[in-house]
Amino acid sequence: MSELQPLRREFASREDLIAYVTAQFPASAEIDSHASPIPGGRAAGLRALGAVDGAKYAATRNYLNGRVSRLSPYLRHGAVSLSEVRDHVVRRTPKRHESEKFVNELAWRDYWQRLYAKLGDGIWRDREPYKTGFRPADYADALPDDIMQGETSAACIDGFSRDLRETGYLHNHARMWMAAYVVHWRRVKWQAGARWFLTHLLDGDPASNNLSWQWVASTFSHKPYIFNRENLEKYTAGAYCRGCPLANNRRCPFDKTYEQLGAELFPNAPPEGR
Amino acid sequence: MASFERPIIWVHADCLTPTHPGLLAYPDAPAVFVFDEALLADWEISLKRVLFMYECLLEMPVTLLKGDVAAQVSAFARQHQADAIITSDSPSPRFREIVAKLRQSMPVTILEVDPFVDYDGHMDLGRFSRYWRTAEKYAFDVREP
Repeated sequence: MSELQPLRREFASREDLIAYVTAQFPASAEIDSHASPIPGGRAAGLRALGAVDGAKYAATRNYLNGRVSRLSPYLRHGAVSLSEVRDHVVRRTPKRHESEKFVNELAWRDYWQRLYAKLGDGIWRDREPYKTGFRPADYADALPDDIMQGETSAACIDGFSRDLRETGYLHNHARMWMAAYVVHWRRVKWQAGARWFLTHLLDGDPASNNLSWQWVASTFSHKPYIFNRENLEKYTAGAYCRGCPLANNRRCPFDKTYEQLGAELFPNAPPEGR
Repeated sequence: MASFERPIIWVHADCLTPTHPGLLAYPDAPAVFVFDEALLADWEISLKRVLFMYECLLEMPVTLLKGDVAAQVSAFARQHQADAIITSDSPSPRFREIVAKLRQSMPVTILEVDPFVDYDGHMDLGRFSRYWRTAEKYAFDVREP
């Protein structure tokens, strides 16, 4: 018995718990000491599940203020299971077309997990060559400090960086924009961005995370994913662009057509691949 | 399923729920979770992620430890004079390594969590669209409550 030193299980408050976990895990607190407002636990996961609306999800999920489920941290740690979430939503949404998109998105997690079982640590390696006209060696190994600190001056990117560090959660669309910015605008290896996300995301799962970064990078897709200001502004209702110093100064790196961006970001790629 | 006299349940971070299949199959068995300090360091896991897991674990009847997972689970098993370790499945390579270490000293039984797609045949995982062509046939099948 003497060799085991169990951690405490009784706490007067969440603040008490946070102070204890901070003291017990100083290395994690040193990396980043924020506590997310999103609570852990199956009870909280079931509350989130109770609020899912399949039809509204399908109609609004791409918008940052859309009716997304926010179930991912609970699914990642098995506090709720994919099958019970599916059962609940399908049972409550008898019209198949209303639950279809939600179930399809759940299936992505099942797909990533099956690939993880097959690939193991191979999820850290490029699945395929980049289709950007660049070689892996053309990409930087480390994530630049200004992205990690939220000091790029692009209000959207800095906002996503702050949310990631402070809450451990980003909307899926914000993850895609951030990943595209890191890999294609800053030409950084996707692995550096993936590691940063795993540090912070409450739902950080090596398979879902890394293979999604590879999809954006084009090492696990037919072409790189990019976005432009019009796309971001639409799905964020202009929330970032309104106060952005770059947007108001005509220096926004995203304020171009897809044709212009493809030619600028991937000058060596054949036009049809951009 | 093999039956054991004095199993312990090893809970890992892929199944942080009171409905853990090991806890349901052996409700009286002692259960343990070990925060993997080497993994937290290697992957630079921030405090909020540790806190989230901790809050999940506080809803479970489980002893919380930290350190080397295989060593701590083995010590917990010895303390309880266990004859087997029960856990739930995970695709993680690190999970496989820990199971291999634990099996050097006693049997480890790995229980499945309810599958999302109840299909054991071939799946083409080359792209999601190919997987979905097969999975879609089963993905909407609801189990009886």
